[in-house]
Amino acid sequence: MTNLRDDPVGAATRAEERPVITLRGVKKYFPVREGVLQQIVGHVRAVDGVSFEIRQGQTLGLVGESGCGKTTLGRCIAGLTDTTGGGIYFRLSEADRMFLDEMDAVGQDRQTSEQQAKVESIERAHRIDRLKGETWRTYRRNCQFVFQDAFSSLNPRHLVKDIVGRPLRVYKEASGTDLTERVVELLESVGLGRQHLYRYPHQFSGGQRQRISIARALALDPEFIVLDEPTSALDVSVQSQILNLLHKLQQDRGLTYLFITHDLGVVRLMSDEIVVMYVGEVMERAGAQELFASPRHPYTEALLAANPDLLEGDEEAEMRGLEGTVPDPARPPRGCKFHTRCPVATPRCGWEVDDAVAWLSDNSTILEGLGGVERSSDFESVLRFAEPGTAAEAESLLASAAIPDAMRAALVELDQDGPELRIRFEEVDRVRLEDVDVGHMTSCILHTSQADLDSRP
Amino acid sequence: MTAPAAAPLSDKTASRVASVEELRIHFDTKAGRLHAVDGVSFDIFDGESLGLVGETGCGKSVTARSFLRLIPVPPGTYAGGRIHFWSKEARQTGGSPVDLLQVPASQMRDIRGNRIAMIFQDPGKALNPALSIREQVAEVFYQHRSEDLLDGWNGTPPRPIRRAAGQRSGKLEWLAFKVPPLRSPARRLRKRVDDLVGDALAETQIPNPRKIMTSYPHELSGGMKQRVMIAQALACNPDLLIADEPTTALDVTIQARIMELIRELQLRHQTSVLYISHDLSLVRRICDRIAVMYAGRIAEIGQTRHVFHDPLHPYTRGLLAAIPSLAHQRGELAVIDGTVPELIDPQPACRFHTRCSYATDLCGRLDPPLVARPGLRPVACHGYASPDELGVAADQLPRLDRDAP
Repeated sequence: MTNLRDDPVGAATRAEERPVITLRGVKKYFPVREGVLQQIVGHVRAVDGVSFEIRQGQTLGLVGESGCGKTTLGRCIAGLTDTTGGGIYFRLSEADRMFLDEMDAVGQDRQTSEQQAKVESIERAHRIDRLKGETWRTYRRNCQFVFQDAFSSLNPRHLVKDIVGRPLRVYKEASGTDLTERVVELLESVGLGRQHLYRYPHQFSGGQRQRISIARALALDPEFIVLDEPTSALDVSVQSQILNLLHKLQQDRGLTYLFITHDLGVVRLMSDEIVVMYVGEVMERAGAQELFASPRHPYTEALLAANPDLLEGDEEAEMRGLEGTVPDPARPPRGCKFHTRCPVATPRCGWEVDDAVAWLSDNSTILEGLGGVERSSDFESVLRFAEPGTAAEAESLLASAAIPDAMRAALVELDQDGPELRIRFEEVDRVRLEDVDVGHMTSCILHTSQADLDSRP
Repeated sequence: MTAPAAAPLSDKTASRVASVEELRIHFDTKAGRLHAVDGVSFDIFDGESLGLVGETGCGKSVTARSFLRLIPVPPGTYAGGRIHFWSKEARQTGGSPVDLLQVPASQMRDIRGNRIAMIFQDPGKALNPALSIREQVAEVFYQHRSEDLLDGWNGTPPRPIRRAAGQRSGKLEWLAFKVPPLRSPARRLRKRVDDLVGDALAETQIPNPRKIMTSYPHELSGGMKQRVMIAQALACNPDLLIADEPTTALDVTIQARIMELIRELQLRHQTSVLYISHDLSLVRRICDRIAVMYAGRIAEIGQTRHVFHDPLHPYTRGLLAAIPSLAHQRGELAVIDGTVPELIDPQPACRFHTRCSYATDLCGRLDPPLVARPGLRPVACHGYASPDELGVAADQLPRLDRDAP
């Protein structure tokens, strides 16, 4: 494996490697059910259109705060849950991916029948939810999973020998003495030994259990392992043992990792490329060194500022946090999903009615007086108040300096008519992930060409 | 940020808020007596923040909880030692301290949440899900500030109102508050409590405290719940605030906001803070001094800056080197081999000797005390002792390479 830490761009070497996993617009929605009949009233958009590829022998770090969909995405990739839309492809060649992208751009109706047949054959051979029989088994044995909690992911009633030997038994790789020997080999490769064969999980410490989990994942000599927060339950001194072990195994066996974590220090150390997620979407994607040296998204900057030890130079730097909370993924913000908490938001970032209501509801008299919100779209609505006085108060609040400048600039219409207050925001499209540098993508409009920024405050 | 907020700490005469001496807390288990805390001593000075760091099971939370006598007895036992505590009055008048392990339960009730307050690890579990935020924060005022609640009353308030202000109302007394003679004083009391709760919440930068007051814990986000806990803890302006991993359950960006908030409130109220954490990089940003704990003992204690720049104890060195940082190459993180030793009936030996790369025979049979030697801060390692002090030959002492930690 090439050491990308010495390679400032890293893209040149990266492009030569074959992609193991390719994601194209992956979506995973969970239905929200309500009422006696349990009717579906909405969807939690856990993963909302994520695309990237993981190349042979590389580690891709997936970072984000809790609830941003990173674990769900990992489970989708491992085939543990189905996807709502988009596709996850296994060993999809670059040419095929480009063909599929091209066909998507053309649209299904306008494709010729040969083109359709080709798309069909590619999907059947590579898309994991369409794999059948032998190819599906090949995928399953080549894609393994290490879970976050080593306490609940090992069956307490099984011996270590059975836990680690189970995959070998299922795939009829070994049996009898041969199986035991294989298990011993695996245990030795993770720093355990023969003496641990006939013990139960509760007899091990957290770090040792995580080693057993890793041995189990390695049993079938897979190509790709999803590591879902493998060290977040461990102490620092044990964490360093596990991280070193994972690196050594990668070197020895040419493994490809998807490393899911919320710890930026760990992800920088372990990854070649990093994907930053927020509320189900990719905010930024870049080589590990590049991302830390020059983040191009305010969310990434905020994550780094919250842990200034990760930055070079000033070790006395102040730690800075973010105001507000992560938005509800059942009603994600329009435009850029980060605009509600972004310190550098512009009027073009997707301000909408919900943002105005959120600001108004911080004032209790206005909140109590608010009778209803009639929206004609996410950007336009009529707020109905009990009394004209409250409406006037709400109007003056929305026009005052208490509201972020960018939001006020985006408010193109603010009319009070008796007890009614009509508000309309500038409509914006969803932001897209765009290339800003070689191997560096961001979805922030400040760094891309997506919006005309003349209206910046 | 690391600038000490308090009086110069090198000055040993700086007034102390609390002083822990040889604290021992044991737990009876089936396997034997577990020495969770085994001879821990440290001082907390006025206005400073002291960080107590260590890995899981090193006894840091048990130490913190013993300040408020929150250890369940049995299985726990306070096997020895003292925790002296000076309240504000005692410090001003030069009065004598109280021993928190000896004071009667009634006096302990006065201290808990009033003079010493605690912020717990998981705000989701520490708040009562069945009570509104107002009721939970108001309880602190009812319990400890009932005279304040009756401030500004013309003459003596009626007895039922006095009882209500101390949360001592009888079973049906609330009915009397609904009808005229007591209705308006009851409302007045309620308004006074609302104001105090509102102020306490506003101080933790909660937007729209009046709205939060009527909500229940499940309606709030993790960061907001932690703010409520902080409001509750600081409501009585305590002399000592114990924060037991207050941000472990939170996301990094929220964590940074909460840390800033605690720091800011600490400076404003001149409160001393005992900060428990396993996250070294966090502690480094907010604490004036830190004490590193290992297996029920303090390994070393000193000014944060000094401990980070020049760690003395081999355990501290290992711990600092194990944090992924800029300097590390992949696969080359420093590792402390082995695991934390069993704390059941431990032998008189250095607790770290089984994992220490410098350990000698001596470390396996003689327990190093935490002592400050000339020119050094207190550290519990034989490597800094002189041969005469222990009465052994010089080659029996572990040789620590001081320049290359």
